Amino acid sequence: MSEKVLLVDDEKEFLDIMSERMEARGMTVKTADSADQALAMLEKESFDAIVMDFKMPGMDGIQALKNIKSQKPELQIILLTGYATVEKTVEAMKIGATDLLEKPADLESLAAKIKQAKADKMLLVEKKTEEKIKDILQRFSG
Amino acid sequence: MEHDNRHMDMDGITFFGAVSAAVTHDMKNFLAIINENAGLLGDLAVNAQNRSLPIDPRKALGISEKIRNQVARADTMIKQFNRFSHSMDHAEETVDVEEMVHLVAGLAARIIRHHGVFLTVTPATVPCRLKVHRFGLLHLIFRAVEIACKILDNGAMDTQKQVLVSFGMDPKVPEICFTLDPVPTGGWDTLFDQPKDLDMRDRVHMAVKTNNTGNGFCLYRIRPDHA
Repeated sequence: MSEKVLLVDDEKEFLDIMSERMEARGMTVKTADSADQALAMLEKESFDAIVMDFKMPGMDGIQALKNIKSQKPELQIILLTGYATVEKTVEAMKIGATDLLEKPADLESLAAKIKQAKADKMLLVEKKTEEKIKDILQRFSG
Repeated sequence: MEHDNRHMDMDGITFFGAVSAAVTHDMKNFLAIINENAGLLGDLAVNAQNRSLPIDPRKALGISEKIRNQVARADTMIKQFNRFSHSMDHAEETVDVEEMVHLVAGLAARIIRHHGVFLTVTPATVPCRLKVHRFGLLHLIFRAVEIACKILDNGAMDTQKQVLVSFGMDPKVPEICFTLDPVPTGGWDTLFDQPKDLDMRDRVHMAVKTNNTGNGFCLYRIRPDHA
């Protein structure tokens, strides 16, 4: 099954061309031009991964990351940035980013990271479901 | 005095850093789009080879046009950044204020966009020239734009925020005016009152006042110009 990705960037031309190339690689891609729009879309649809620019007008990357993670903790977020400093990478990872790639990014390595992100998300969902089942069984046996 | 100079120098370096960061970020975005377009051309070639079909010339032309557009955007930005970098070359000289405003608008486009603000520059009806240190003037205009954006940040989120830059009608009294929309309530008296702002204004001999319509502020020359 193909990966369903939400691509977020304030450069419309970048969104158009990236989504075209990602779709050519079998992914299903939806786009948003701001973190606010991405958050609104997440309320209605589920995705395997988000690929998001770190610096956009309006809500900044760190705040967007926090909001998305609080809304969908299992969602995998890959950040794109102009300059990936060690400090920025560590900060983003601490909040829950899956990875941080520097622009211009290599699409093949991004595609591999998205595949991995989908697998990681499925593992997390499975783990959550197992815990729920365990909890229900414990309640019944107790 | 020596302390004050150091203070001003540090501010100048901070300003240079902010502009450099914004410009290099934009450059990375241009490169990313060029990179993806080049990748798309590669995808087209691989597809054509796999299917033994020719490359669609219209599609290839469209991509090459997009690459050219991004190269033009990057070229404009580099030229602006180069002019900015050379603004420290000379002491006082006669400068075209309108040109300086356009330069700041171009260099700070990313920063302005981040505030969700649209900045428009109204062409000057009479020449607006000042004998001034170019870098100092650019710094003050940048600070004025930053202040205007911050004032508008406090307004309603869902309204269109605009800053209109215009110039005075009297060539003997050069003036740069910033009109804000939506109009904020009050706060004009405390503009540019921080020590670093006072230093910045003193350096280019300019003062600040509320504009005639009360919906913005103007920077004007307080020293008679013998340019």
